[in-house]
Amino acid sequence: MSASPAELLARRVAPSAVIALSRVTWPARAGAGARRRLGRRGRVELFFAFDDPCSAIAVLDLAGRLSGREVRLLLRPVVRRGIRADPAVELKRRYAIGDARRLGRRTGLALARSEPLAADDVAFLAAWVAAAPQGPALQRFCVAALGHLWLETAGPVERADYGRLWRAHLGSSPPATGGPRGVRRNERLMRRRRPYDTPAAWVHGQWFFAHDRLAQIAERLDDLGWTATP
Amino acid sequence: MSTQPLEFYFSFRSPYSYLAAPRAFALPERYAVDLTFRGVIPMAMRGQSVPREKGLHTLRDVAREARRLDMPFGPVHDPIGDGAIRCLLVGEHAIDMGREREFVLTASRGIWAEAIDVASDAGLRAVCERSGLGWDACTAALEDPALRARVDANTAALAELGHWGVPVFVFAGELFWGQDRIEDLEATLRGAGLDLPT
Repeated sequence: MSASPAELLARRVAPSAVIALSRVTWPARAGAGARRRLGRRGRVELFFAFDDPCSAIAVLDLAGRLSGREVRLLLRPVVRRGIRADPAVELKRRYAIGDARRLGRRTGLALARSEPLAADDVAFLAAWVAAAPQGPALQRFCVAALGHLWLETAGPVERADYGRLWRAHLGSSPPATGGPRGVRRNERLMRRRRPYDTPAAWVHGQWFFAHDRLAQIAERLDDLGWTATP
Repeated sequence: MSTQPLEFYFSFRSPYSYLAAPRAFALPERYAVDLTFRGVIPMAMRGQSVPREKGLHTLRDVAREARRLDMPFGPVHDPIGDGAIRCLLVGEHAIDMGREREFVLTASRGIWAEAIDVASDAGLRAVCERSGLGWDACTAALEDPALRARVDANTAALAELGHWGVPVFVFAGELFWGQDRIEDLEATLRGAGLDLPT
């Protein structure tokens, strides 16, 4: 029995077209070239969550991997993430711990935690980061906070520890207002960009799961002309 | 050196399973493992929703990963439904014939790189015969309740492991989910002293 035209469209034509179009890179390369001519840097937008151990791996690695490139890393913390009504959400959160532990081993990072964190327990960190201006100081805070959260501690989250880190890296007290609204804005932007879970890196029109596609992110930037300089 | 069991959970509807399969079947050539192929019913046929965003991302991500692995990807013909089940049943028959490697690699390449419709007799027959399987025996396999029971048992075993997707490898009770986690599995096999002399 042969497939109907509607079946052929859904099963063959549409997915094959998605694959073929994903290989068309000249518009992004042209856009990147225009950006450079205007003196603007490339952008990597990283949607991440503090309760996600794979986000910790991604932030720690990307922060280093992007240095030496004319690229801005924009950190966009979210709290709500994942596929809506996913029946496997708890299994995925538990599996992510072991998975992040193995991924960390590839680059010499050792995870201290063996139990998932509740999103609500670290939502204050997302709110602080979402309320602050992007830049190297915020990036250093995120690296330090995620390192403390996932690599250095295994017990309850002590808000005071992160307040000290904030003051050390940003030179002020953590923001008292505006954070939750910024987090919601990030979540809306993530939905618009299409990633459905963290950590997700949006790189000029393509997105990648950032914890296990780090080399591909670098390759995308190379392809767009934002190569690393020694 | 005695061999250790290694299970490989696979779906013909999963392009990540397609990417994993050549490296999975090559593992016993490099490590003292006894690889067991376990074909499972696709996630979307097990009542788990796969949002459109995930489907689109998977196609684009697999295209990038296939390039990295130097594997062809596209044109495709999604086998969800009869096509996937027919491949699973022939896959069980292929195990009995000692040709599961040939069939899985040929069928998954046919689906994901040659747009072969394995729900049609012509498409399935082509991949069966290219795998060295006789068509008459394969058509008998499609009606064999014992083979269907094995597919259902594999699918139930994946759920009992507390896992949802494929490809999944299980070694010594540890799960490795994803074609991009084979390097972690290999590190574990090396750590267990199972690498074979070259």
